[in-house]
Amino acid sequence: MGTLGTFDSFTTARLGIYAAQHGLRVTGNNISNISTSGYTRQRIDQVSLRTGGADMYRSQLDNHVGNGALVTGINQIRDPYLDIRYRNTSSDVGYYDTMVDGLKQIASILDEVGKGSDDKQDGILYAQLQDLAECLRGLSENANKDNDTLARKSAETLCSLFNTYANKLETVRQNTEAAFKKDITSVNEILTNIRNLNEEIRRSEIHGDNALEMRDERNRQIDALSEYMHIDVVYSMEDIGAGQQVEKLTITLANDNPDSDVTTDSSMLIDGIYGSQISMQIPKANPDYDDTKPIGPDNLPFWNDKENQAVEKAGDATMVDSPNYDITISKLYDSKGRQWTNPVTTWHEVEGTKVDANAIFRFQLNPATVPWSAGDAAATPPVPADTFEVAGTVYTIGTDISAADANNPEKLAAFISQKLQAAGNADYDISSKGNYIMFTAKGKGEVGSATGPAAQPALTVTDGGGKLSVGPISTVNPGFTTEAPGQNKTEVDPDAATKTETSYMQIKGKWYEVTTVTQYSKEVHLDDNDLYGSLQATRELLTESGEFATQDTVDNIDESAATKRGIPYYQKSLDLLALQFATQYNKLNQGFMINQNGNYIDPNGKEIMLQGSDGVDAPISKTNGLTPAQRENLINNGYTLKDADGNVVLDDKGDPVIDMDRVLTEKGAMVPEGTGLLFTDRNDRDTIEGSITAANISISAGWSHGSIKIIPTFVQLFSEDGKPLPNTTQNENVNHMVTMVEKSLVYDPKDLIPDAVGSKLFEGSFNDMFSNMMAVEGDDERTKNIKLNSHYGSLVELDSSRDGVSGVDLNDEAMNMMQYQKAYSAACRLMTAVDEALDRLINNTGIAGR
Amino acid sequence: MIRATTGGVLKSYRSNLMHSFIAQNKARTTVLTQRNFNSYAEDPAAASRAFRLHKSRMAVESQYKICNSAISKYQSAFTCLDAIDKLIDTKNGTEMSTLKDTTLQMLNDPKGEARTQLTKALDQLSETIVQNMNQKYGDNFIFAGADGHNVPFEVKDNKLYYRGVPVDASEPKLLQDGGVPVTLSDGSYVLASAKTVEELPALETNGATPPVPFTAAATANGKQFYVKQGATPIAAAPPDPENYTEVNRSDGKQLWYKTTDLVDKSNYDSTMGSVLKKADGTPEVVSVDGKNYYVTNAGDATMTVSSYEKACQDADKLKYLVNEKQFVDIGLGFQENENGQLIESSGFDAALNGLTFLGYGMDEDGDPRNIYSLVQKLREIADGVPEEGLWDTPTHEEFRGLVLKLESASSEFKTQFTNHTASTTKLENNSSLLKENFYTLQEQYSDLESVDMVDAITSFLYAEYAYNAALKVGNSVLSQSLMDYLN
Repeated sequence: MGTLGTFDSFTTARLGIYAAQHGLRVTGNNISNISTSGYTRQRIDQVSLRTGGADMYRSQLDNHVGNGALVTGINQIRDPYLDIRYRNTSSDVGYYDTMVDGLKQIASILDEVGKGSDDKQDGILYAQLQDLAECLRGLSENANKDNDTLARKSAETLCSLFNTYANKLETVRQNTEAAFKKDITSVNEILTNIRNLNEEIRRSEIHGDNALEMRDERNRQIDALSEYMHIDVVYSMEDIGAGQQVEKLTITLANDNPDSDVTTDSSMLIDGIYGSQISMQIPKANPDYDDTKPIGPDNLPFWNDKENQAVEKAGDATMVDSPNYDITISKLYDSKGRQWTNPVTTWHEVEGTKVDANAIFRFQLNPATVPWSAGDAAATPPVPADTFEVAGTVYTIGTDISAADANNPEKLAAFISQKLQAAGNADYDISSKGNYIMFTAKGKGEVGSATGPAAQPALTVTDGGGKLSVGPISTVNPGFTTEAPGQNKTEVDPDAATKTETSYMQIKGKWYEVTTVTQYSKEVHLDDNDLYGSLQATRELLTESGEFATQDTVDNIDESAATKRGIPYYQKSLDLLALQFATQYNKLNQGFMINQNGNYIDPNGKEIMLQGSDGVDAPISKTNGLTPAQRENLINNGYTLKDADGNVVLDDKGDPVIDMDRVLTEKGAMVPEGTGLLFTDRNDRDTIEGSITAANISISAGWSHGSIKIIPTFVQLFSEDGKPLPNTTQNENVNHMVTMVEKSLVYDPKDLIPDAVGSKLFEGSFNDMFSNMMAVEGDDERTKNIKLNSHYGSLVELDSSRDGVSGVDLNDEAMNMMQYQKAYSAACRLMTAVDEALDRLINNTGIAGR
Repeated sequence: MIRATTGGVLKSYRSNLMHSFIAQNKARTTVLTQRNFNSYAEDPAAASRAFRLHKSRMAVESQYKICNSAISKYQSAFTCLDAIDKLIDTKNGTEMSTLKDTTLQMLNDPKGEARTQLTKALDQLSETIVQNMNQKYGDNFIFAGADGHNVPFEVKDNKLYYRGVPVDASEPKLLQDGGVPVTLSDGSYVLASAKTVEELPALETNGATPPVPFTAAATANGKQFYVKQGATPIAAAPPDPENYTEVNRSDGKQLWYKTTDLVDKSNYDSTMGSVLKKADGTPEVVSVDGKNYYVTNAGDATMTVSSYEKACQDADKLKYLVNEKQFVDIGLGFQENENGQLIESSGFDAALNGLTFLGYGMDEDGDPRNIYSLVQKLREIADGVPEEGLWDTPTHEEFRGLVLKLESASSEFKTQFTNHTASTTKLENNSSLLKENFYTLQEQYSDLESVDMVDAITSFLYAEYAYNAALKVGNSVLSQSLMDYLN
């Protein structure tokens, strides 16, 4: 047994009390926070204390006893893998929850299941289309003013419903946009919180505190962030100098873009104490800028400032909301506004640039043997017989030079210089430096070069028994030197946000290029599919238009844009339905009169004749169409329909489409009284100035006031004599309108968006089209709801699992409480026991016989 | 799960409790709305099907209204037609005479006084028929075809007009040569009914026109003859005197002419007097099948081109009007073909043309087919007979013939009346079918949409039970832990 300290056991008892007390405090903290959101249960790190070192007189048979328990820290119990899974699923839930919520809002407008009159529940807009059909049937059966008014009123109601639905959809879109902006603010708050928490945690760690509560709060913030966007969270150690490391938290986007070429989907959001912010604002573009032309007076630069003046730098431009709700991640800054940087320095050896110099050679007078060292009292004086040869002449010490001078390197150097000078050798200047005789070339350049010395200097010492000796010649400078191979430089790459500094250093005659690349954080404009989570779901609700997406969008923004449907899809579908409806009925209410034979007539009732390519005149028949010769003649004379690009429009068979309206107008065909547009884009006009949409469709002013009416028939009977046979209740055109309600029509997105990628959204009647809109929404909502439920179930399960690891359990804590209480009592009891033992030893020992 | 913590269990419980509550709420909504689904998202396929059925029901509902309206119109028409039918030839049990009775009485009682009374009766009957055909249903005239806002039948100068077109209009039959109408020198057409006479031979004119008549000698019994142009007389007695006639010419010569070269002057002059002449007084000659004819001026022999064209146009109008259609949608499909024209079988032609019932145009004999016109013609014939006189045979025959034609027209009326009745029945059947269809569709979408209340209530009770159970479990989740047992 080793040496026992008298009061060691007190320390053991004291440490036990401390440990138990810590345990009780931690248990109490756990119980207190059982309902605290995000709280991670804590536990103490307790180790057995063993004092170090061996006793000086330690016996081999000795047993070492520990010195009690020591609490080394308090930590949290957390499973990082569960955190990752929870946050991934949280993004799923965020995405689908937002999507389902958005779709439900759309459904609240479009979904007419169970709506309509209480007893029938035929829908509202859906039923109104049929109401119009009923009114038209009534008009067909009995063409009187009452039925005409009923039809008009029904159409008016239908237009009003279109307007209401469109306005409600627009309100949903605006609300979603407001929610999106609010989400951005929330995300930015979270990012700021996380950055600030990182800073606090870092500071605490440096001071030895593990900041568990702040970590809990940070985890809570990260959980919240993961609902908005799918993120990767990485913990690493950061060297802060002096051998100390602290934990660093990095959050990046989770690489969700299916396009592997895109790298912005792993952009950094948080890096330790640096954090970014997100925004949907972009510099305002100059709408007149033409990227195919050089910038100049006729083509002003890219951006516009707030006065709408063109500016060259994006930084000078005014900021506006991105039309595609694109997200930009800002540069990373710390709380003091310092920008995140990451300098990386590399070294590599390079060749220096040669420059001529004065060659220098030296001979070392051997200090060990130099006899004339003045400072060496014990040195043997030079022997006069010693000789040395300079430029072929041998000189004897003591004879040609005194021993004292020979003993002085400076004088010896001067002697040699003099002799060489006398011999006409002017290549070198001779000097001394310490124990060296230095030969410095007078001209620059290497030995043997045009400007350098002709040969290396030679100094021969003949030891005549004396002690003069000289070491081998050594080259101090071969006649040239090297300089840095280039100038120091600094390059800045604004696109890559890097600064590259290049400098040259010469170390031991070698040149090194030192390159420091400093990566600065930069703004990242995210690609359309970089995000995932509720933020992306809101973006998709705001931007995706399915089959109405343009080819440009598919090519440059999102290749699967044609299959994603958000609010714009439903807005445009409703617009397309309104446009199709108005177009078809307007078409039916416009045209030219024909006679009983189906031929077009002029206002006098005469059949209009049209010459064929064969020179034969024939009536223009509506019923049978043009004769081949008439058709050929019209094509030859350019009476074909042309598209916006001036190309001839072809029919399904590839034949040119004849512009019959132009032909008949030019021929003066008769237009029935009351003809005109039934539907326009403004209720105070009879013409369509812009484009008909669900929001603006209305019955024309003319129809409203009676100058335009539903044309019941385009047939005028036997009017050649100017006295047409009346047919006041003929209804063939009203019947066209009746059948139109059920006619199968192709809904082509290109009719609304000319460069839309889809060509056939749906084929069916007006009612079917509307029903299809409801079905598309219903299917989408149902599918996403199933996924939401699935992900939500997983999330709850994961949360429970996480809680299983990190959550506080009362049973656990009760056990701990009992354990620590007992430990505390036991330690106290130990102290009492030791106290009693020492009392016995001190007060009651050695008093036997007293 | 390695550990089941208090918080974890509570979270799990909260989630499950929420599920139970949602399930209960859903079951309650189902009971309250009595619908299997309350949004497209709940069952897109069923919702789509249900909406299609709703649409069909709405269409059927409106088609049913149209069909019933058509039935009412047809029933009104039936009343009118039935009244006319009774006026035509059925003993109607009233004091009122019928056309058949009246005309038969006129045939069998040719006395003037009675005939005058009967003529007036005929007039009255025909007017009544027209009045019946001008009846309205609602705002529209029933028998006006597709011109319901205008009175269809109108009588002007004892002639009946349908929508401004004379009901007797028909394409006049023209005398034709090789399919081409024969025209006179002024361009007028010659009617096929015109009487023609083969062109007489050219006569020897002796420089004067008309030819100088020759007086036959012994064989002519004092009759005068003209000599055909180119006839060669002989001075001496011929060897075959039976083929020759000796005539005394007006120039005093006595010569022998072949008998066939001589033309009876009285016949010749009589014929030439009745044929149509040109402005220069020469007869109009028309050629038919290689032969030349004169056209006699008896009756309406010719017609100007404009009159002919007007008549043809009127006839065309009648043909058009009698076939004029006004389709309505009574649930037969009502669809257009690729050219945008209504497929006729998919709609119902609700137009009732008065001409269909009363007849129009002329028959082969040039007599009207229209009942009114026939009656008027009968009346005219009857009026043409002197009040105190008796029928002469041709007039009686003509009257009789027209009475038979009136019977034929009446028979056609009855046929059309029967057709009309059949159409009414068809409409009524269609109406029943639509009604049935209406209920079937209602039943079909009710099957899709409406809940089985037994199921719904059972589901709700089960959901309620589950929710209550979950609540009860919650009580125990929160109640016990080791803490409760610590002293």
